[in-house]
Amino acid sequence: MAPWRAKSSRAIMGYGMPSDIAAAKPPIEFEALAEQRVYLMKIARMELRDEHLAEDCVSDALTQAYERRAGFRGDSSLRTWLTTILKNRIVDLLRKQWREQPLEDEVTGESEFDPLFDDGGHWLQKPSDIPEPAKLCEQNEFLDAVQHCIDRLPRRIGQVFVLREVFGSDTKEICKDMELTTSNVWVQLYRARMMLRICLEKGGFARAHAG
Amino acid sequence: MFRITCQQASRLLCQQQDERLPFGKRLRLRIHLAVCDACRNVSRQLASLRLAIRKWRDRD
Repeated sequence: MAPWRAKSSRAIMGYGMPSDIAAAKPPIEFEALAEQRVYLMKIARMELRDEHLAEDCVSDALTQAYERRAGFRGDSSLRTWLTTILKNRIVDLLRKQWREQPLEDEVTGESEFDPLFDDGGHWLQKPSDIPEPAKLCEQNEFLDAVQHCIDRLPRRIGQVFVLREVFGSDTKEICKDMELTTSNVWVQLYRARMMLRICLEKGGFARAHAG
Repeated sequence: MFRITCQQASRLLCQQQDERLPFGKRLRLRIHLAVCDACRNVSRQLASLRLAIRKWRDRD
């Protein structure tokens, strides 16, 4: 097709309309939202560690998403959009919970104590190698092991970590949403990652050698 | 003056998962990783952990 034709047909289609209306997508069907439910439940369960609370948050998020479906612009995927709505529900809930039940052994971030190292800052136990990380991450057994280890982290450390790694919040957002200090978030993420890599050294990482 | 311990390196490796390190820290970490296979392993472990979580999240 000659360039001038393409240009003129586009000009006709867009004539008299703001470009975003001309490009508007059909509204989201409820079925499309409901299809994401299993995914949303999976991540809500990991964050909240409570089936009923997860159900409540996911139902609220889907209802809210349906009410606001006209506002979904399609810039991001439907899943990303829903995840943000769900995250906001969860964060509101957790913030209240955390206010009502402050931690007894508050993680302050001031302490230099770290049981993984000797006085000279050397590893007490040498971290193990992973020969083929990309291959390992294709194995369902390994992904199950990762989930298993995350589910067993101390509760709040796990919740901060899941907000970061599964919901994709950055540390600034976590500080703001959860009313935590920067150093507190750093320490919780550090502990989470060290505990997880040790947990995975016991089971998961070793699979790379076997398989 | 560029030497850091494994303990410091492991903190920087974690920090690096969340934000870009300032130049000086990045340099110290690189120098440390060049000579320390234990911390290189940690670096690979952390990268694998992140990749695995993405895969876990996106699998149906």
